Amino acid sequence: MGDMNIQAIEQYRSDFLKEVEERVEEGHWVKMCMQCGVCSGSCPFGPHWAHPPQEIFMMIRAGKREEVLSSDSMWMCTSCYNCVVRCPRQLPITQIMHGLATYAHRLGLAPRNQPTRDFSILFWENCTKTGRVNELKLTLGVYFREGLMAGIKKAWNMRNIGFGLLLTKRLNPFELFKGHACKDQKGIHAMLKKAQEIEARRHKLPA
Amino acid sequence: MAEMKTAAYVCRGCGIGERIDTARTAKVAEKEGKVQLVRQHDFLCNAEGVQLIRDDIEKEGVTHIAIGACSRRSKTEAFYFPTVALSRANLREGVIWTQPETEEARETTQEMADDYVRMACAEVKKMKLPAGNPEVGHAKRLLVVGGGVSGMTAALEAAKAGYSVVLVEKTGSLGGWAAKIHQRVPFHEPYQDPAPTGVTELAAAVTGDPGIKVYLNATLSRTSGAPGRFKVQIATESGGSSAEEVGAIVQATGFTTYDIAKLPELGGGKSPNVVDQAGLEKLAMEAAAKGQPIRRPSDGGEVKTVAFVQCAGQRDETGTHLPYCSGHCCATSIKQAMYFKDANPGVDTVVIYTDLRVPGNGEDFYRSGQSKGVTFTKGKVSSVEAGGNGCKVNFHDLILDDKNASIQADLVVLATGQVPVSGVNIEKQEEMPAEEKKVISILNLDYRQGPDLPQLKYGFTDSHFICFPYETRRTGIYAAGPVRRPMDMVQAIEDATGATLKAIQAMENAELGRAAHPRSGDLSFPSFRVDGCTQCKRCTVECPFGAIDEDEQRYPVFNESRCRRCGTCMGACPVRVISFENYSVDTVGSQIKAVDMPDEFSEKPRILVLACENDAYPALDMAGMTRTQYSAFVRVIPVRCLGSVNSIWITDALNSGYDGVMLMGCKHGDDYQCHFVKGSELATYRMSKIDDTLKQLALETERVATYEVAITDIARVPRLINDYAAKINEIGMSPLKGFA
Amino acid sequence: MTQAVATNQTILVVGGGISGMTAALEAAECGKQVVLVEKLPTLGGRTALLYRYFPKLCHPVCGLEINLRRLRGNRNVRVITMAEVTAIGGSRGDYTATVKSSPRYVNENCTACGDCARAVESEIPNPYNYNLNKTKAAYLPHAMAFPQRYVIDPSIIGTPDAERAKAACKFGAVDLGMKEETLQIKAGAVIWATGWQPYDAAKIQPYGYGRFPNVITSVEFERLADPHGPTGGKILRPSDGKEAKNIAFIQCAGSRDENHLRHCSRICCMASLKQTQYVREAYGDEGRSTIYYIDIRAIDRFEDFYQKVQKDPTVKFVKSKVARIAEDRATRDPILHGVDTEGYHRYENSHDLVVLAIGMAPSVKGADIPAEIIADSSGFIEAGANGGIFGAGCATNALDVNRSVQSATASVLRAVQVVNKVARAEA
Repeated sequence: MGDMNIQAIEQYRSDFLKEVEERVEEGHWVKMCMQCGVCSGSCPFGPHWAHPPQEIFMMIRAGKREEVLSSDSMWMCTSCYNCVVRCPRQLPITQIMHGLATYAHRLGLAPRNQPTRDFSILFWENCTKTGRVNELKLTLGVYFREGLMAGIKKAWNMRNIGFGLLLTKRLNPFELFKGHACKDQKGIHAMLKKAQEIEARRHKLPA
Repeated sequence: MAEMKTAAYVCRGCGIGERIDTARTAKVAEKEGKVQLVRQHDFLCNAEGVQLIRDDIEKEGVTHIAIGACSRRSKTEAFYFPTVALSRANLREGVIWTQPETEEARETTQEMADDYVRMACAEVKKMKLPAGNPEVGHAKRLLVVGGGVSGMTAALEAAKAGYSVVLVEKTGSLGGWAAKIHQRVPFHEPYQDPAPTGVTELAAAVTGDPGIKVYLNATLSRTSGAPGRFKVQIATESGGSSAEEVGAIVQATGFTTYDIAKLPELGGGKSPNVVDQAGLEKLAMEAAAKGQPIRRPSDGGEVKTVAFVQCAGQRDETGTHLPYCSGHCCATSIKQAMYFKDANPGVDTVVIYTDLRVPGNGEDFYRSGQSKGVTFTKGKVSSVEAGGNGCKVNFHDLILDDKNASIQADLVVLATGQVPVSGVNIEKQEEMPAEEKKVISILNLDYRQGPDLPQLKYGFTDSHFICFPYETRRTGIYAAGPVRRPMDMVQAIEDATGATLKAIQAMENAELGRAAHPRSGDLSFPSFRVDGCTQCKRCTVECPFGAIDEDEQRYPVFNESRCRRCGTCMGACPVRVISFENYSVDTVGSQIKAVDMPDEFSEKPRILVLACENDAYPALDMAGMTRTQYSAFVRVIPVRCLGSVNSIWITDALNSGYDGVMLMGCKHGDDYQCHFVKGSELATYRMSKIDDTLKQLALETERVATYEVAITDIARVPRLINDYAAKINEIGMSPLKGFA
Repeated sequence: MTQAVATNQTILVVGGGISGMTAALEAAECGKQVVLVEKLPTLGGRTALLYRYFPKLCHPVCGLEINLRRLRGNRNVRVITMAEVTAIGGSRGDYTATVKSSPRYVNENCTACGDCARAVESEIPNPYNYNLNKTKAAYLPHAMAFPQRYVIDPSIIGTPDAERAKAACKFGAVDLGMKEETLQIKAGAVIWATGWQPYDAAKIQPYGYGRFPNVITSVEFERLADPHGPTGGKILRPSDGKEAKNIAFIQCAGSRDENHLRHCSRICCMASLKQTQYVREAYGDEGRSTIYYIDIRAIDRFEDFYQKVQKDPTVKFVKSKVARIAEDRATRDPILHGVDTEGYHRYENSHDLVVLAIGMAPSVKGADIPAEIIADSSGFIEAGANGGIFGAGCATNALDVNRSVQSATASVLRAVQVVNKVARAEA
């Protein structure tokens, strides 16, 4: 991943906007922002991040590559689409934010131990493995992310909900051992691989 | 004209009949007003009433009519009798609608009505039906000064309407600035790309039009006359001189660019790589001619980054540079950035702005610029370090709040402003030697007040009025294009078309002897008695329109077609020799004297109100419409402008026993409201001088008061009157009553 | 104003706002015959409903008075109010327009004495105050109305109220039998000056117009500030009638927005700057104005006014497009949420009143303009091609008053070119 970052720096030199346009999902929209700030004001999570979308877009134009890609902002997006419906320039802001997150992740620049990012990784790995989400493993993965004691504590706090799920047969403890998978796992993997190839081509990523 | 035969009509409609003893009023008209024919009618403005008047005119030979009914602003369609002199006594809005409907008020209401009828009768007898201007000029040829887009548009549009044109251009070719630009901002949808200027075609159309005579390398060495009969001397560079007679003038002398050498902090004059927008156009044209991309001026190197610095030397609050915004520069920079982007999307173009100003459909053009990859950065540029082959633009990035942001650029374009080419500032001409004045002047008017159009602000020759962009202060001469206001090409075309229409209108009206806006159509004009004149020059100095010149003996020379009929000259004249046929020292003076003056012990003071007919008088009318009451002791006379108020009216009024005089005019100062420029200001000044007279008469200075009144002061004007009446009550009745 | 004979040298002007009136007068003062058709019962248009103009802060009715005096003094213009042009046939130099007029129920005998209004009991929302208050169903549109003649609202026709109006009139001016009429008018050229309309603020959902009483539009604010408006010139909150001293002005309400109006409406920045001075006029140093903006577009010498307002300590500028407005349930104060983009400062500001600087929608948008008019995708009329129909004023672009008049004057020359050509051909 580090290689890819170095390659990108070399290829685009100081032109981070161009890099984003070519390599980030919906990145070509960034230039259309007119800095009105309606997205920043519309975001329900806004107060919790360092840089709201409009500022991120300005930072991209100003070539602030490191700051943007290592920012936690994109990871905070909950896909509520408030910004998208209000944007007077009709920018697909949600998609751009996710695109930036993906790109930062791919380059290995995304912030470490960022909870939503960690969850995303867990989720992706969990569901692409068998073609199905194993909820129990996913939950435990999230609980024990910060170590054994923290995991036990969290699980203890959530015990009532856990038992409830068990009783209503919404949670199967045996999933922990093998769990069910989709029928054609090979097919799923092939499809995902193909999709990744297409994406790489579209965004001029090194294969 | 036939012998004078006077008639007065008293209407009883709209409640006048119930509130006023109209029989008594009619008697007043007959006995005191001394009119020959007096009639009352229940509903004078209906077809029957109007017919009655018409019959009297036609069958009885009535020539002068006083109508006692509603305000002169009402029922004007009904009371339209163009062949007779007409005065109106405002019994409705001015009397019954502003007086309480009580038994106690009956007497004072009646007195008010009777006085207004006395006044109307007295006024109309002093009026003459305007005979029209004997000095009319018939020239229907338009002079256009300036051969840029504005001037060429003016010439072509006039020609299309069937008027012949003389176009005078200072340089050796037509085109102006538009000929010096590569492409223009688009005028039509889709507002995406720069468009060809079309200037060559425009110039060809002008040269090819048989109705347009073009003088190149030519200037105006002298302009004299008036609308319909201007005589111009055209001097050519080769030393030749031609004379032309024209009916009106469109001045489209355009602008120059602000000198970038005055902006050294932005690298102006420091490096060939720092240019203004005009400089960039030059580079673009040279590059286009060679079929090459724009190169870096210092070494011909490749241009990879261009920075556009908006508002360079504009919107300046320090007083050093231009304080205004030139309006076009944001769109122009977008267009220029597109020159680079369209040729090579790899070139970085950054526009650094504080407010991006692209009104209307300009927003589409802005979007197009963005989609082409032009970067827009909200920031304030602090300096440009220019030297060698690179420039460093230092700025405060306002979004990222980075005070030390910078861009390295191969080329920096400073968006400087338009400076109008408006000739001599006639308000400062005293400081200028005559020879220099002659050279700088554009029109070289031989007007007494100076050789060029008065400037409004920052050298622009704009109209002061929002509703009337072509309300010129030199009748028959209209400014168009960036000399009037900073503007882009599409606006200049629109503006030139509008100014040309006004110029055509001026020629048509001049021929008929009619006044131009705002008293459009007025056929009266000032005349003066030479034997009384003391050559004091006040009229020639104070005329807001420069209509009056002086002859060798320093007597005033009135140029009727230049006159706008405001009466400022009449107000200025200390010996009262200037008058209009239907508006004179006498028409107002006789009204003042016609009022029945109660004696000192009656407890009925009389207050004269001289009200500007455009603002204060309508406000008083509307006070009536809203039934707002005011003192029954006032007698209101509308005046064309407070500037037309002659001091004699005030002294006459005081001498004949009035207890106070209120003058109501428009706001003055920077945002003045007076459509005759300085009328209300002059009146205030003149009234400040009247204090001496008051002292001589042993009267309190409060007996004369001036007010600034707006047309919307419907509630305030009655309050002013009542407050003033209370003050008069306080200081007591005038001691001069009964001496007149 | 009298009967003008309409011929193919006549100029037909559609719309009696400042652009249409200007066009009609300028043409008439060139000696041309003009027919001026206005939809409403009075001339004056939207400028008559403004309190003051920027940047001079002078009163629009002052110019209206001059224009009305010009009109009264000129016999070349025939004014037809309460009428709309429904069709235009023919071609340049030879048009026939179909004009449909609605009944006013009051004839030319009217003296504007007001007896009918006093007699009538029903009230209707007052369109001349943007429905902020009510007026009698027999009414004079406003003090500067031209023609100065009352109107009877069709809603009372057939009711005893209408009869009361009729009975009250001493001059036989109330004519309840008036019917819709259709006229055919010849014209050589047509000037289309139908102006603009405020964008429908309710469509800007996050701002709560229509849901929150203390969110109003800039045109409504003009009426509040006007001494002849519904509050007598006092700036009061619609919710509780309390003085609104702390006012937010939101720029680009509908404009510069692909979800609403794509264009910039040009006038709104200056209008809001002007309106901050209404707040100052009303409350002096106690007033508080906050302008939320993207770019302040005070072009050319308007910049002077911007700089003046910037120096006013009661006025604050926040570079931000407000994200949404909430309402304090108890006080009904609007609360603005957003981000000041200059340096990223999040805000949650409570105000007494919010004024939306509402965008200019062209009046011709969606309207069926008869004949060969080309409008752009925003609905503005593009300059006439080779036809004899020309746009003027805000029907052609988002323009301020001065530029509208300029545009109207220019359109007259284009029309004069057509009718002069007709005259030359006929001579």
